[in-house]
Amino acid sequence: MSNRRSSRQSAGGVSRISDDQIIELVSKLRQLLPEIRNSRSDKVSASKVLQETCNYIRSLHKEVDDPSDRLSQLLATIDADSAEAAIIRSLLM
Amino acid sequence: MRPCDSLKREFLKKWMMGLQSCSSSNKDMSILERKEAIKLSADVAMACARNGATCWSRALIAAGAHSKHGAPREYSNKRIRSKKILKRSCRIRIRRRKRSKCSAQVGRASSISKGLVRQRTRILKSLIPGGESMDEASLVEETLDYITYLRAQVDGMRSLVDASELDR
Repeated sequence: MSNRRSSRQSAGGVSRISDDQIIELVSKLRQLLPEIRNSRSDKVSASKVLQETCNYIRSLHKEVDDPSDRLSQLLATIDADSAEAAIIRSLLM
Repeated sequence: MRPCDSLKREFLKKWMMGLQSCSSSNKDMSILERKEAIKLSADVAMACARNGATCWSRALIAAGAHSKHGAPREYSNKRIRSKKILKRSCRIRIRRRKRSKCSAQVGRASSISKGLVRQRTRILKSLIPGGESMDEASLVEETLDYITYLRAQVDGMRSLVDASELDR
C-alpha cells in the first residue's frame, strides 16, 4: 500500500508528525534498525516506522534489565571497601 | 564515525560515581530495590552525559532528583497494554474493511492509518522521558537522540558487569 499525502484529509487543529519528519526519522533509523534497513524505501509507512521505533526502545529498556539484575546480585555479595570493589572502580581509570 | 565509544566512556564515568553513592548509602536494600536504584543511577548518568541539553535528559535528571527508588519507565506499561488491545481491534477492523467495496475503502483506510500514526505517536511519547510535553516536531529529534544514548547505556552496563563478573 503506497503512502498517501496527509494533506488529502484535514487533520484538525493539532499538528501531527509530518511526512518530511517521517522521512527524516526513517533515514536515521535505517542505520539503527535492521528491520527497516532491509525493507524497500517506498513501502515504509509512518505507522510502521513508529511501531518499529517503539518496539526498539522497549527492547533497549529490557536489555538494561539484565545487567542491572546481575550487578545488583554482585553488589549484594561484595563489601563496598573490599578489593573487588576497588577492582571495579579501577576499571574506569 | 564512532561516537559510541566516547559516549559509552562518558556514561560509565558518571555511572560509577552514582553507583558508589548508591551502594554505600543503603546496605540493607533488597536485591530488587538495589536493581531499581542501579537503573535509576544509570538513567541519571546517561542524562548527565547528555548535559541536560535535551528534553529527555532534563526529564530523567528531574526524575532522579525527585525519587529515591524511582522507576520512570514502569508507569507506561499499563497504557501500552491497553493500547495494544486497541491496536489489535484496529487491525481487525482494517481486515474486515478490506473485504468491503473498493470505493469506500480508500477514504477509510487512510483515516485508519492516520489513527494508527496518532496512536503510535502517543505510545512513543510515553516511552521517551518527558515525552508528554514534547510537540511532534521535537519528538522525532529527541527519539533519535534518546536511542543513541540508550544504546551507549546498554553497552556500558554490559561491559562493566561482564568485566566485574570475570574478576570473581
